[in-house]
This record gives sequence, C-alpha cells and structure tokens, in this order.
Amino acid sequence: MSNAATFDTRTDTAIPVESPLAYSYRNSGAPRAGGASRLQLRERAMQGHLILRGGAIVLDEAVRDVLGLNLPGQPQTLVQDASGERSIQWLSPDEWLVIVPGGEEFPLETKLREHLGSAHFAISDVSGGQTLVELSGEAARELLMKTVIYDVHPSHFPVGKGVTTVFAKATTIIRRPSEDRWELVIRRSFADYCYRWLLDAGAEYNINVQQ
Amino acid sequence: MSQSKQQVYRLNTGGRIDRSRTLSFTFNGERYQGHPGDTLASALLANGVDIVNRSFKYSRPRGIVAAGAEEPNAIVQLGSSEAGQVPNVRATQQALYDGLTASSTNGWPNVQRDLMGLVGKLGGQFMPPGFYYKTFMAPASMWLTYEKYIRKAAGLGRSPMETDPDSYDHFNQHCDVLVVGAGAAGLAAALAAARSGARVMVADEQEEMGGSLLASRETLEGKPADQWVARVLDELAGYDNVTLLPRTTANGYHDHNFVTLHERRTEHLGDTAPVENGHRQVRARLHRVRAGQVILSTGAHERPLVYAGNDVPGNLLAGAVSTYIRRYGVAPGRKLVLSTSNDYGYRAALDWKEAGCEVVAIVDAREAPTGDWVDAARAQGIKIIAGSAVIEAKGSNRVTGARVAKIDIDAFNVSGPVQELACDTIASSGGYSPVIHLASHTGARPTWRDDILGFVPGLVKGVQACGGANGCYALADVLAEGVEAGIKAAAAMGHAAQTVSLPSAEHLQQGPAVALFQVPHEKPTLRGPKQFVDLQNDVTAAGIELATREGFESIEHIKRYTAMGFGTDQGKLGNINGMAIAARCLNRSIPEVGTTVFRPNYTPVTFGAIVGRHCRDLFDPERYTALHQWHVERGAEFEDVGQWKRPWYYPQKVSGKTETMHEAVARECLAVREKVGILDASTLGKIDIQGPDAREFLARVYTNKWEKLAVGRCRYGLMCKDDGMVTDDGVTGCLADNHFLMTTTTGGAAAILEWLELWHQTEWPELDVYFSSVTDHWATMTVTGPDARKLLGEITDIDLDRDSFKFMDWRSGKVAGVPARVFRISFTGELTFEINVQANYAMHVWQTLFKHGEKYDLTPYGTETMHVLRAEKGFIIVGQETDGSVTPEDLGMHWCVGYDKPYSWIGKRALTRSDTKRENRKQLVGLKPKDPKVVLEEGAQIVFDPKHAIPMPMVGHVTSSYYSPVLESGFALAVVKGGHQKLGETVYLPMADGQTFEAEIVSTIFYDPKGERQNV
Repeated sequence: MSNAATFDTRTDTAIPVESPLAYSYRNSGAPRAGGASRLQLRERAMQGHLILRGGAIVLDEAVRDVLGLNLPGQPQTLVQDASGERSIQWLSPDEWLVIVPGGEEFPLETKLREHLGSAHFAISDVSGGQTLVELSGEAARELLMKTVIYDVHPSHFPVGKGVTTVFAKATTIIRRPSEDRWELVIRRSFADYCYRWLLDAGAEYNINVQQ
Repeated sequence: MSQSKQQVYRLNTGGRIDRSRTLSFTFNGERYQGHPGDTLASALLANGVDIVNRSFKYSRPRGIVAAGAEEPNAIVQLGSSEAGQVPNVRATQQALYDGLTASSTNGWPNVQRDLMGLVGKLGGQFMPPGFYYKTFMAPASMWLTYEKYIRKAAGLGRSPMETDPDSYDHFNQHCDVLVVGAGAAGLAAALAAARSGARVMVADEQEEMGGSLLASRETLEGKPADQWVARVLDELAGYDNVTLLPRTTANGYHDHNFVTLHERRTEHLGDTAPVENGHRQVRARLHRVRAGQVILSTGAHERPLVYAGNDVPGNLLAGAVSTYIRRYGVAPGRKLVLSTSNDYGYRAALDWKEAGCEVVAIVDAREAPTGDWVDAARAQGIKIIAGSAVIEAKGSNRVTGARVAKIDIDAFNVSGPVQELACDTIASSGGYSPVIHLASHTGARPTWRDDILGFVPGLVKGVQACGGANGCYALADVLAEGVEAGIKAAAAMGHAAQTVSLPSAEHLQQGPAVALFQVPHEKPTLRGPKQFVDLQNDVTAAGIELATREGFESIEHIKRYTAMGFGTDQGKLGNINGMAIAARCLNRSIPEVGTTVFRPNYTPVTFGAIVGRHCRDLFDPERYTALHQWHVERGAEFEDVGQWKRPWYYPQKVSGKTETMHEAVARECLAVREKVGILDASTLGKIDIQGPDAREFLARVYTNKWEKLAVGRCRYGLMCKDDGMVTDDGVTGCLADNHFLMTTTTGGAAAILEWLELWHQTEWPELDVYFSSVTDHWATMTVTGPDARKLLGEITDIDLDRDSFKFMDWRSGKVAGVPARVFRISFTGELTFEINVQANYAMHVWQTLFKHGEKYDLTPYGTETMHVLRAEKGFIIVGQETDGSVTPEDLGMHWCVGYDKPYSWIGKRALTRSDTKRENRKQLVGLKPKDPKVVLEEGAQIVFDPKHAIPMPMVGHVTSSYYSPVLESGFALAVVKGGHQKLGETVYLPMADGQTFEAEIVSTIFYDPKGERQNV
C-alpha cells in the first residue's frame, strides 16, 4: 500500500446532490429547441473522476488489470471502453484523468492502490470538482472555434484526441470521443461561466440542452 | 424631408449594380436613391452629392476621392437609431441597403454651410503644423479644457449612447495558407494552394471578391475578366479545405503569422443585425488566424498628384473614376481633365469617353508619352497635353476648371504659360503605391524600388507578397506571381504542387512612368495655394516644407509634427507623397528620408468585434462555490476574491430597513463571538500531496517544521519565495504518513500549485511526491463560535469531545449523513470546525446545519466579518499584511521559522542577509487609535513626528483596519519601522484632509491573547 488515506466521499443514502451546473439550470435555464437545433448540450453529471499520477509503465499494468483499458501512452490521447462509459485521458507526462460511472471511482481507487502496492504513484478523487459536458450536432465544432484557441479541425483534432486548453477565459479539457461528439471537462467553480458562454455562443445554432 | 433626388450621374448601362431594384437612403437628412450593388459612395456620386464632409483642421468642403479603403474624406456616421450608431465608416466601403442613414462626421451645423469653415478660413494661416503642440500644451493644466473644444470641432464621428443590441464573435482559425486580398494575384494564389490540398483561407475586404478584375477593361481568355473571377470562386467554394471570407479585412499582422481579420457579416444589411429564427445574427466577427504561410495580395493604391486645390470636390483618383464607371455605373461628372505621370491613368479617360462623357484633355507629365493606352486615347481623338500637369484646381464647392502648364520636374518649377481648362472633374494618377501596411506591422522595413517608384514590403519568415502588393502591375505577370506564391506556400506546408494553367491576358505595351509627386506651382509652396498631401489630417505640402525648415529631418518626426498619416487613415494616399516632398526639401532621396511604417489597424475595427463575447456578464469568469445559490437567495453582497464571488456580508432587514455593511458586520462578529457563525470557505486552495517524500517536500517549501506532524494532526505553514518574502500561508493536514492536504490562500491557489511543481520538477526531481488540485472537489464550511460543538454534535457521528478531538486535529466521519473530513482549526479565535464534503453534497449539509442551527441562532458571515475576527486575533492575510517585501520575522512569526531544519528550505538563505536581519525593517504591530471611535484608513502613512517639516519621514502604513464590536473600538494592523521594539509608543497618521490621528503601538493580538477560546 502506498500509505495514503483513501476516503469514499459518496454516500448511498438518499441524500440530494447538486451537479456543478445545478445553479446554472436554475438561473440561466436549459433551452429546448426542436428539430431546428444544430447543437446539443448534455451534462453527464455525477461521474467518478480520478487523477492518476505516476510512471506510465506501472500505471498501464494496473489499469489494464483493474479496468481492462490501456493507459494512453501517446500525449493528448484518450482511450475508452466499448460502452464509452469508462475512459482514460493523457493529461501530462505523468498524469491521467480516469472517468467512470459515478460510484465506481472509490472501488476502482482501492483496487488500483492494491495493485500498485509500493510503487510511487498518486490517485486523487476529484469527482466533486468537475463535470462532463457533451456537445454534439453539426455546429459543435464551430462553437468550439468561437471558444478555444486550439485547432479543432478534424485534421488536427481526430477522434480519440484530448487536450487541456483555454476555454474563453477559463480552462477546460476538450476531448473527441467519437466522430460527432465532443466532451468538455469543466471545473466546478467555472461551470456556470462556461455554461453561460455556451448558451450565448450557441444561441445562433438554436442550442438545445438535454437534462 | 425633401423628395428623393434623381440619380443624375447614373449611367444607363454597365456596372455590377441591379438597376431593377431601387434602394432609398438618407444622407445628411436628404433622401436619395441607389441600387443593390452600390456603395454609399457610388450612390452619393450618382446623385451628384459633391460635398461629403468638412476637413479636419481647415473645415474645407471635401468630396469623394477614392473607391476603396484609401478614401480619406467620405467618412460618415452611420445609423438611423441611437443604438445603431457607427462612427468612422468609409462611404466607399459601405454597401448600400434600403433605409441606410448616414451623416458627415465633420461640419457644424452642416457640411454645406459650415461655421467652422470661417474659423478654418480665418484661422488657417494661424494653424501651422505643430499648432496644437505650440498653442495648447502650456499651461499643462489647461489641456483638459482645450481638449473638449478641440474634440468637439474635430473628430471622425461619435459612439452610440445606448447599449448595442448586437452580438459579436471571435473565431479562432488555423490554416496552412492565408491569402489576403482576392484580386487577380490572390485568386491565382488561392487556386494554386487549394488544389494542392492545403487548408486555405481567403479574406477580402470588399463586398465581392475579384478586386480590380471586377472593373477592369482588360480581358482574360478574350472574355471580360470578371467571368474568370466567377469561375475561380466557384471552384474554390467547392473545396472543403478552403474558407472564403468576403467583407473581411485583414487588419493586423502580428508575430508568428498571427493575423486578425475583421469580418462584417451583416453591415451590408442594416444598422443592426437581422433576426433569424428568433436569434439576432452575429454582426461582426474577429477571426484570429494562425497561418502557416501568409500571402499578401493586397494590391496597390493609386497615388494622387499633389497640386494646388487638389482637395476641392471633383478631384478624384484616376483609378477611382474607372471603378465608379465600370463597377458601379456612375460617371462622377461631365467634363474630365486627367493629370497623369504614367500610362495606367489613361484608362480613366478611355472609360470616361466610353461612358459618353467629355474628356477635355489628358495632361501628361511626360514629354513624349508612348504605349498602347496612349495610342488608344489618341485614336479616340482625345487631346493630350504632354510635358505638363494640372498645377491648380479651380472651384470651391466643386471643380470648375483646371489650370494647366508645362512643368520642369527636375527644376521643380512651372516652365510655360498657364492655360485654364473648364471642367468639373480632375482625375490624377501619380503611379501606384503597393499596399504594404500589413507587412510593415511585422516590423519588417519596406524597400524602395526606383523602377516602380514605390516601397515593396519587407518580408519576414512565412510571408510572400505578390501582384500589386509586390509592385507588379501587368495583369499577366500578376497572375503568374500569384500562382507561384500559392504553390510555394502550399509546398512549405507539405502540400505538393498541382498545375494551374493561367488564363491568357493581353500583353500591353507601356511607356515608362515619370517620378512626379508634388506638382510645382507658379508660386513657391509656402506662399501658393494649399496643396494637400494628407486630406484626412489636413496636411499640406507647405506644412511638410515648414517642418523640414524647423529642423525635422526624419520622416518619423515630420509625421508627428504635421500629423501626416495619423489615425485611421494610416497614410494610405499621402505618406509616399509626403516623403517625396520631404526628400525634395532636404535634397535627399526618398529612402534616405526614411521608410514609413504603418500600424494596425489597417482600417477601423468596431469595438464589438474586438470584444467579441467577452462583455457584460461574460466579461470575466465568475467562480462560484457549491453554495452560491444559497448566498444569493440570502441576499449576500459579494466580494471579488480573484475570480471568486465570495459572500462579503449578509445584510438583513431590521424593522423594514436594510442593514448597512457596518451594522451587518457588527451583528455577524458578535454572533461568532457569542453564539455560532458559519462561513463558506470553499474557495481556499486545496492541494492533495501524496508520496513517500511528501513530508520532506513540505519541510522544504514551508519555513516551519513538518517532521513530527502526526497522522490526524494539522499545522499552520508559512511559505516564502526564494527572496525570503512571505508568499502564502495555510493549514496542512497529515492524512496519512505519505499523504497531506495543503490549503492555500484563495487567490494564490493556482500559483502555489505551479510553484510546487516548479520546485519539484526543476530542483528536487528526486523527491517522490505528486500534487493534484482538489480545490473544487471539496466544499468547506466553517462552523465557529462557542456553540459550534453543540451544533455540529447534533448531526455528526464524529466524537467531538475536547480531549479526543483537540485543537489542530482532523477527523473523518459523517456530517448530515455525508462523508466528511472535519478540521478543528480556527481563523476566528473561537472554537471552530471546518467541515469538508464532496462539493455535490455541500448544499444538503449546509441546509442541514441551518435546520439544526436555528436554535443556536446560527449566523452566516462573510469575508468582511472573517477579516475583522482574524485581525482581532492578529492573524495575517497574505497580500494584505504582506506585499512581497515582508519576511516571517517582520510579521513577528519567528516561531514559524525552523532555521535548524536539517535540509535547507526556500527563503532560508535570503533570510540570513544583512538586509533581512536589519532592525529597523517595517515590522507588523497592532495600532490602537487614541480615540476609539476612529477607524484608521487602510494604507494610511505613519510618521513618528507630525510636526516634522514636509516631506515627513514616513515609517510605515496601516495594512488592516476595522471597527471591533467586541472591543468597542477601532483597531488596526500596521507595519512600522522597528515596530517590534516600540510597543507602547505613539505614532501619528496625517491624513489628506489635514487632520492627524494618534495611535498607540500595541500587540497584534487584540482579543483573547492566551487563545483560550479556541481550546475549549
């Protein structure tokens, strides 16, 4: 064991939870557009988010065994399981973001820690600190062009890529899990700003928010 | 309003306008008509509007001179509503739309009868160059008074006084090849690059792409050139890898091939953007382009000749005359005299004649003009007066005649008798100046070429110029240069060349041009009638000559002294002529006088496009905690802490009146001291630190010791930069042997994480430790006050007994059914529990605390109360008590410095310098005002002797100051030179209003000095 304190921050009792966008839905609304919408936004709230830090080789072994996924070794890449529910994204040379269905993160952390034993690594649960927002629709890329300075052209941002970059005046992770879908990982405290930005920039595409 | 005027100068045929539809518009209150395809300028000319403005300084009547971006006079204010006002629009670039409303930017009460004109006429002599500097700069204090009147009299329009209803965007673009300008060269380049598969962007500032080919008398493949344009545009539009941006001006060329494009998306449709599907369209867009390669195919501006009276309405550029006839179906007059130094100018006369109007004469400065166009003019029977020039235009509100004479260019004099030709229009051509503005934004100096009598762009890496921008004017050569540039640029980005067959162009014989800039007059320049160089800034040839006589020799100085090329004009028409005049006066060559540099922006960019969406409530990110909604609903006033919105205080309604901040803070303070209060502390930075060397790392970045901190315990840490100055502080808890949770100041969170990574990655990579930010993951609620234990005890399974959960311990358990880590630390001096839960549960826990807190009178408090309470205890706030020049010892925190730690730590060495050991450093002390009602001003300067002559030696300042409800007195923290040795002494604080406060230096701990209240 790595002699770190693990802590399951979730409770199974029926306690109300609020996603980082709860405030935004109440205050900015969630526009519903009919068939005319060229842009869909959907929050995938309450997922489990873990930051893995350590050497690629030992972490790769561990996530293969525990999660059945390879650790993406190439910079700026993303791997996901067949269902798309579980993913690992390269963040920096010794840092990865794991996203799993909500509630899986603590058992996963525990198993990884067991597997990794005395290796030097760190696992930090950040599930309460960020949320996943999906963008789809024909205008999604154009919306991103309004927002991020990073080149999101398909030739430069193929499926399976993920980067951390400037989003308007905040920072987000942007990833492209499939041909027609983009994902943003947004810090909780910046979520309302990002959401209002997306609604404003998406208005001309008749943005549709699915809750 | 009067009846709409007739379009008396509209031709019956020709041009790219749609005569089947009529648009009405208003200019200076008069109604006129035009057609789709018109610009405001072409429509005004069609209606015979001669005067479009008054000049900036002399208030002379001015008419339209050019047909594009270089127009200096026809600058209008646009907008039929207050919110839709747009200043500084060139009528030559504004597409006509139905209902367009425009007015002149200068002229009061109007352009036709201008009162300022009198001032100009009378005052003209008294307003030489440098007038403003000479007259208004002294006394300096009066400038603000003068400025109001000068600005009222001058200016290029006004901004709207109502909120802009439109929205604007930024677009971040990336491409292999950016082509600026879609004329012959640009289209050829774009075609070559696009066929190779490169990502190509083409930006063109006009309503239609095609540049001069849209109005050319030349043919391509034997057909009108615009047919080739249409074919190329069709092909380009079919490529996925090509983005075509019409109505888009490349305004700034910044470092590393970063180019800003201003796209006007709806300005050809109306004052404000039309609404589509219930959403107002985006009016303008700023494209921020990162280009691999840039091709500048920006063309050339025709240079006017500088002769007397050349600003009277009816004086136009020769090329503009052709453009108005061929593209807009307008002949801007009846009787033309053309004054030229080259063959190109002849096209204006040929077009004029073909339009059925009278060409009085072509006046050619060359002794023996030859060339195909010269021959064509002769064949048409047009009179050519060789070796001569128009030396003066006659007329005041419109040209009535041209005074023509033989001139000797080298001797700079009139060498023959003067004849006056009756005419209403004078066209002039002095050759072309390549449009090198963008290239000079990069800082590359342009190069003078004698063979083309112009500057060509200096080029930096990754940029090419072609066509007119490169001083290449013959159509066949322009196309070839374009293709070559396109192939080269695509190849540089790894895209193989594809063949592009060039359309066949006519090969025309041309005679050599002569270098003529300022035309001599019978009278010397300084005595003769005004010869304008820069029409927009009212700079004359005499002004430049005077500047050289006054000792200004560099063109940069001459420009500043005369205002030539200033402002939004950026010297498009005037700069080269001005340099030539300066060169003549100084008896030097043009390049010897200097090169001219143009600045961004090429043409004005609306603020909306610059701002994009970064305005109103999206101006800057607002960071919210998970409890923000509660604070809003509770009516909190918010304070900005970094980008966070933190509750500042919670004003309550007391018998119908809302509390003042002072009242609210006093109530909140007493609630914490007497009962229990709660603070949302979620904004504190939180860094998860894991690894076997975590403890060692902490010992190296903090000044104090971490060796013995046990699991379950917390410790306050003080962090210095390597200069020994305090940069951050906070409590770190030991979660496990290899696992710590560090808290940082709210504002410092991101910077401290970077600081830790920096030291780990660059100095101590051998330490096995990792850092991750968990700031947003945890919500933190501080429950503090004598009743804190009772309240928390109701909803937690954690044993809160004073002996098992001691001060500076942390425990985990459930609070309100939610897993929580609770830290028993205190920033108020009272019994305190900081509850940390996963942020998604925070609202539930907070509300549960309030449900149970009712009976304890649980009071939410904000940052202001937090500040008062911590200051009563002498707890510092980094950034308030410190300013980057304060050491731990200055703060009296010697107890927090471990000089004997086994390994060195950041700041240790700096803290042993003689300067940091100096005894009279400014040291943190408490100040007790002699009058308890006084609350000293934060920032107030402190002196020892208030009777000392001014300037008094200032020995420190107040860093924090509040009224303490529990002490019933004002109190302050301050830094005072040698303060630690001065307890009990009196200091003085002289204020700006003349009164002087007295205060006693006391301990920084004002309340509960033994710390008994937090240890209960």
